[in-house]
Amino acid sequence: MKILHISDTHIGEKDHYNEESLRIALKEIEDNDINMLIHSGDLTQDGNLKYYKKAREIFDEIEIPYIIIPGNHDKRSGGLSLFKEYFGSPNGVFESQDAVVIYVDSAVPDTDVGRVGMVKYDMIKEALAENSSKPIKIVVLHHHTVPIPKAGRERNVLSNAGDLLELFLKADVDLVLSGHRHYPNVHRIENTVFVNAGTTSDKKTRYGDINSYNLIQIEENRLKVKTKRVDGSKKEKCFPRTDKRIFYEFGEKIFRVAHLSNTFISSSSKFLQTHFFNALKIINSLDCDLAIHCGGIVEEGINQNYELAKNYLDKFDMPVIYTPAGRDINYLGYELFSEYFGKMVQSYDSEDILFQGVSSAQYDSPEGYIGETQREKLFEKLENSKPTFNSVFLHHNILPIPHAREKGLLEDSGDFLREIVNKKIDLVLTGTSSHPSAMKIGDTIVVNANSMSSVYQRSRYGNSFNVIDIYEKVIVVYEINSLWGNRKILGVWERNNLKEV
Amino acid sequence: MMSKAAPKFYDVDMPIRSFVTKRLIGVKSESSVQEAAEKMVEFSTGSLIVIEDDEVIGFLTDGDIKKKVVAKGLKPDMPVKEIMVEELITADISSDIKDVLELMAEKNIQHVLIEENDDIVGIVTFRDLIDIERQKLETYISRE
Repeated sequence: MKILHISDTHIGEKDHYNEESLRIALKEIEDNDINMLIHSGDLTQDGNLKYYKKAREIFDEIEIPYIIIPGNHDKRSGGLSLFKEYFGSPNGVFESQDAVVIYVDSAVPDTDVGRVGMVKYDMIKEALAENSSKPIKIVVLHHHTVPIPKAGRERNVLSNAGDLLELFLKADVDLVLSGHRHYPNVHRIENTVFVNAGTTSDKKTRYGDINSYNLIQIEENRLKVKTKRVDGSKKEKCFPRTDKRIFYEFGEKIFRVAHLSNTFISSSSKFLQTHFFNALKIINSLDCDLAIHCGGIVEEGINQNYELAKNYLDKFDMPVIYTPAGRDINYLGYELFSEYFGKMVQSYDSEDILFQGVSSAQYDSPEGYIGETQREKLFEKLENSKPTFNSVFLHHNILPIPHAREKGLLEDSGDFLREIVNKKIDLVLTGTSSHPSAMKIGDTIVVNANSMSSVYQRSRYGNSFNVIDIYEKVIVVYEINSLWGNRKILGVWERNNLKEV
Repeated sequence: MMSKAAPKFYDVDMPIRSFVTKRLIGVKSESSVQEAAEKMVEFSTGSLIVIEDDEVIGFLTDGDIKKKVVAKGLKPDMPVKEIMVEELITADISSDIKDVLELMAEKNIQHVLIEENDDIVGIVTFRDLIDIERQKLETYISRE
């Protein structure tokens, strides 16, 4: 299957719209035997009639099946009604013998943010269920699910991106196509490839880029994404359709780390003391080399909580390193954190293994931020220390978390994530939004911890912490229930196995 | 035949795909039963895939070790191949949860291997399905 993926054409006036670029992209249909054209939104500049008519004329010339969804620009000026009139339903399911393409309008009128409401979420879920046996599954949304680099502050990721990400991975979606940010970007999470298109014909590009589009080829065992600029230059990425699923050779176990978060220690009933002490006992019995607390140590940063927390957390038998969450540094917390637990940025550094902390918390705010300066310093350190295993830990999530509106997502997650993946950092540990998750993006495994001991948690399996076993050949991540100690595998991955084929 | 009424949390007509553990721990067919048991303990799993020449040739549960080795007073140094179950009970990844539950009941088993295009791609266990209800119990006992 060959797809031409265009986006953000912004059909309008010549001062910003470059029809020539769009024509170059559309010429690929003939030149490359394309089977399907997909436009991931912002067809017009501002949703007015004149531009819809112009767009209609252009698309009347297309002779292959195509899908167009509206973007935020298309819904301006009451444009959604015009979209329906000229291009049909903004949501739907296209089925062929081998493939299903589910396309959904993710734009919220008169804002730039994206959302897939409950009705549409269920529509995607049902369509994926009905088409479970189709060999190729594709979802199209205007807004991105995974943070995009060079986009400044991350404000436009879909507000329920975590739920969608979970759904896509569980349903083995092959490809998710988006636009919106005018910056081409490709990430692979587990076996799902997330492709963001740049703008095909708007002059507003990022990072000095020019107009571009994607040519995607899906074969039985691989998926190729070629991002092509209108000057003819191109970049190609090629991914296997599925990674290894059966593991029987592990090599020696090198290191075991307990990964916990949001203990929210306090004297209130929201802090579950029994859960905490059971978890403590379990962790002490597991022969861990290190424990990493990804923040949310105390319920609020006040003295009595810190005193209690220090008293409780000192009972761990292994070294514990910390990174703060926003609530740890509220009130007097900024001073108390250092007084009781040491530096804001901590690390564990042995000859062949590095766990480097990153401070992402801000006063009185649930939002996280790393900043250009800290990011540069971090990657400089990671590059110079060169252990065989590099890991970073911070409180805020860099990938969306299920069942949580994306308020905990790091503000500058797009750039941070891109660099983490490009530099092939082995492991990233986070601890926000109190829901466990573990997934591989590129060559990097990203693990989030649930709340270990607070009533405020979002997992069906109850409060928990994670244990990560690093073997010579494989990494295994477990979620362990705080109260009962039941263990379940969140994921097993070969170490740096993502080979381009 | 099982009742069609299932716990309300489950979408019984959903494909099992979303509930599948898509990672499998395996053991080589010539490994000893003791090594297999060690793997079960290490990875906290009740079952292992048996591998020979990179192919899945059998399946082994902790129940097999109990019944066929320990309870008979045998030494656990025999190869896994001798006690594994060769007949793999599988369900297609696009089957409904209801069908998989029925298969478990009919065959009286707690583990079902999941297939896609003739490859084993995952496993569903009875425990995975009942685990989902655990939080209710937990909330119940943690009330103070």
